[in-house]
Amino acid sequence: MSLEIQNLHVRIEEREILHGVDLKVSKGQTHALMGPNGSGKSTLANTIMGNPNYEVTEGKILFNGEDFTEADPDERARAGLFLAFQYPATIPGVSVANFLRLAVNARREEPMKVKDFGKYMRENVDLLKIDPSFVSRYLNEGFSGGEKKRAEILQLAMLKPEIAVLDETDSGLDIDALRIVSDGVNALSGPGMGSLIITHYTRILNYVRPGFVHIMLDGRIVREGGPELADKLEEHGYDFIREEVDGDDAG
Amino acid sequence: MPASVASGEQRSRNVVPASTAPDTLIWFAELRAQALKVYEREPLPNWRRSGFWTTSLRKLDLDALAPREHEPVSELPALVTGALGEQEVGALIVQSGASTVCTSVHPELAEQGVIVCPLDVAVQEHPELVREYYMRRISPDEGKFSAATAAFWTGGAFVHVPANVQVDKPIQSVYLIEEGGTAQYVHTLAIVGEQSECSIREYCLGAPITGQALHAGGFELYARPGANVKLAHFHDWGPGEIYDISTKRVEIARDARVDWVPVHLGGRLIKQTLDIVTAEKGSDMRHTGLYFTEGEEHLDLFTSDRHEAGYTTGDTVWKGALTGNSRASYEGLIHIVPNAQESHTYLQTHQMLLSQKARGDAIPSLIVETDSVSASHGGTVGELDEEQIFYMTSRGIPRSEAVRILVEGYFEEVVQRLDDEGLQELVRRRIARKLADAEDQVAEFIGERA
Ligand SMILES: Nc1ncnc2c1ncn2[C@@H]1O[C@H](COP(=O)(O)OP(=O)(O)OP(=O)(O)O)[C@@H](O)[C@H]1O
Ligand SMILES: [Mg+2]
Repeated sequence: MSLEIQNLHVRIEEREILHGVDLKVSKGQTHALMGPNGSGKSTLANTIMGNPNYEVTEGKILFNGEDFTEADPDERARAGLFLAFQYPATIPGVSVANFLRLAVNARREEPMKVKDFGKYMRENVDLLKIDPSFVSRYLNEGFSGGEKKRAEILQLAMLKPEIAVLDETDSGLDIDALRIVSDGVNALSGPGMGSLIITHYTRILNYVRPGFVHIMLDGRIVREGGPELADKLEEHGYDFIREEVDGDDAG
Repeated sequence: MPASVASGEQRSRNVVPASTAPDTLIWFAELRAQALKVYEREPLPNWRRSGFWTTSLRKLDLDALAPREHEPVSELPALVTGALGEQEVGALIVQSGASTVCTSVHPELAEQGVIVCPLDVAVQEHPELVREYYMRRISPDEGKFSAATAAFWTGGAFVHVPANVQVDKPIQSVYLIEEGGTAQYVHTLAIVGEQSECSIREYCLGAPITGQALHAGGFELYARPGANVKLAHFHDWGPGEIYDISTKRVEIARDARVDWVPVHLGGRLIKQTLDIVTAEKGSDMRHTGLYFTEGEEHLDLFTSDRHEAGYTTGDTVWKGALTGNSRASYEGLIHIVPNAQESHTYLQTHQMLLSQKARGDAIPSLIVETDSVSASHGGTVGELDEEQIFYMTSRGIPRSEAVRILVEGYFEEVVQRLDDEGLQELVRRRIARKLADAEDQVAEFIGERA
């Protein structure tokens, strides 16, 4: 059970953003993807999820061995992929509860009974220490940055994907929220889920210890390693990697 | 002799000559006669807007239409029960074609002194009340159809809520067209007394007729000082070739409030003017409408939010969507007259195109003739947002369902403002059915853009 990215080249509006990315995330693993602004992290996340604005010009996305490069986003989701968005869209007129019900039922043969769904939602709302009135608001309409992130995690918790990509879910969260979100991710992680956590900060990595760290620069993954790589980055910034990489290129 | 004049004469049997009217009704007979003159004088109108927009009646064969009489019914037609659903009935008047076919008033309302009856009965039985308000805000001089309505209306609806009562059950009037060839002229007059509260709902319903039909209507609501009125208009003329040319006006007196929700969900050609006037200090209005056109429908709406006094507030939101080959134009005006300082109001209009061939516009406009007011307006014409669709599909929701949910969500703001859950459900069902009917063309349209 894994998500495998092979030599992925991605273009947006005639410009190539990713220049051959390889990455494999298996169920049960936690990966961190770090990199400076504009390096292509969200581009990778969106492409994994099948955003039609992003054109794959070369390479493949395999999910559980099957070629998903051309699959529609809803197919990917139903197969067990999930993306917590860096900038989630606002859906006016559709309450969080309603949206969750639609999403949960989309991957089931038989829709969940209304009562069972209500119970299931309450459990997760409690788990994430979300105010119960939150679910009757329209999805992301007027939400603060932190509320949007919580709504993403609530969806993650209820949809129980096999592989989850979290695009800067830690940004904009206060300390308490960060802990709650991290606890949530930890609770969901384990043998049942693999995750790719995109982040700028090692803060979240103190709560969610990744087994693997990948560094992206200008649309390429340039360094890979264990958690110590994140610590090194925290200490020295991206410049040292940039210099090393330039050195590699020269040599 | 021009044909339209001939058909006017044919219908003028409804006009009682002033010479034979009883004393108390001379004013009414004179008004009818004057309206008839205007009708005969005025040519068939053509409503032209800037750009590509014209609303023309050249496909309407007015001469082939006539008022149709219908017998009273003990059981309401399915079309009516379907629309009214399980709602409680405070009072109900149903008019089919030219005839009132059913009137009922709950004893609770009768006890409170509420009068609900056909307007032609009210003219006879409550002449002073009718005379004070009838046609105070609509003039036959406004055009051929205002004149026609004033000259020819039959049946109609009259609502009078006395001062200081709270009416808990809704007051409903229904205008029904069940046969091709029908010309239906109607007028509703509603007066809600000082400090009173009530909910008024009017339904315009059409059977799937063959041939053409016309509904020409006048509607007036007077909310007296301190009154609080919830008003809804539900239009669904069905797939038949029904034309609706109507003027609706709402006047709000001192410290009164009207919350008005008009809904347009069907009609071959609709030309309506909807005006809401905050006429005295402290009056407040909220005006929230929606339309969804399909097939060959043509909808031309003009609304105005008119502030005639200071310290008044307004809030107007109109949302529309178009599928098929339909045309829809919405123009919303905010008009603040001199001396209406300290008026605060805004108007927002949105329109969503859902097919390649649909055409529409949404035009907000503003006339401010005084200072020290706040008035803002905005309009958008757009399509579905691809980022929103992606967000939903990324959760496993199929694209076609995502589109449906987004369109329903878009309208939900308006639907929520209807004060009855049954009516909300009715509107949601109609929107869902229109979307289902247009699923292929919407998918094609959205797909082409992706
Ligand atoms: N929809 C888009 N249209 C045009 N350019 C885009 C689009 N999305 C991304 N880009 C461009 O692609 C590059 C990579 O952007 P991306 O969002 O993937 O970076 P990121 O690593 O996620 O950055 P950040 O850390 O700031 O979130 C940037 O130059 C960005 O401007
Ligand atoms: Mg990003």
